[in-house]
Amino acid sequence: MRGNVRGQGDLEIQGRVEGDVNVDGDVTVGEEAAVRGNVTGAEISVAGTVQGDLRGSEGVLLERGARVVGDLSAPRIGIAPGALVRGLVRTDGEPALGSPQAQRRASAVPSLRAVPTSAQRPFVAKEAPRATVSERPLPLERPAPPERAAAPAQPERPTVVERSDQPAARREKEAPPPPVVPVLAKGAKAKKKRRED
Amino acid sequence: MATVIGEGLSIEGDLTSNEDVAVHGTFRGKLTTDDTVVVGATGAVQADISGSSVSIAGQVTGDVTASERVDLQAGGRLVGDVRAGRFTIADGASFKGNVDMEM
Repeated sequence: MRGNVRGQGDLEIQGRVEGDVNVDGDVTVGEEAAVRGNVTGAEISVAGTVQGDLRGSEGVLLERGARVVGDLSAPRIGIAPGALVRGLVRTDGEPALGSPQAQRRASAVPSLRAVPTSAQRPFVAKEAPRATVSERPLPLERPAPPERAAAPAQPERPTVVERSDQPAARREKEAPPPPVVPVLAKGAKAKKKRRED
Repeated sequence: MATVIGEGLSIEGDLTSNEDVAVHGTFRGKLTTDDTVVVGATGAVQADISGSSVSIAGQVTGDVTASERVDLQAGGRLVGDVRAGRFTIADGASFKGNVDMEM
């Protein structure tokens, strides 16, 4: 079929269509079907080849054999494993990062990478997550509890420089379990040398 | 019927098929198939139709070419030329055009 399809009701395409499809009902593109043009409908389900945009007012579903080159736009989009897509996928009206909690969580992730220094890493690995005084119990920050307990009121993450200021003092205060690798505190090298002598 | 153009559907373009086609909606353009064409009572076709056997119960404006037969049912309206080996016009149908039975 070469031309435009427009109408009310559902449409099932099992052959080849070259042109735009615009119906107000559901559109099913069969496995052997090939559509070259935009498809607009309520629920669009694709199992064949589409070269064009898919705009569903209710949802777009790409099944296993689907091969789509074009944008997907719908409030609900499903892409089954095995489907091939190349294009922009847009679910309009998604409040993904709307709440302040979510925003803080998002900003906390990159600073975490700066937290564990080489001196403190074995520490962090051995220690069980403690209940910290921090105001937001974010799961991502558990691996570094000693730092958290010392600075609960700070809204932004303390930098690495700050933390390494008094590592020895902090460790003595909290009596942590003995680490696998001995952490070199100040003067440890000298002590070790004395022992060997 | 392999291809069905439903009542609420409107297609504008060239439709080519090797299977049966039933038109119950609006079709404008060109319809070519190797098999049967059925234009339902609600069908409104503004196109040249070509098939093996064409049965018209709705409205068709355009030339109809069939390799076997054309049947114009009661209530059908055909404006256009007909080329077919066999042609029947039921009582109550409307027809305006030329007929060539390929003699």
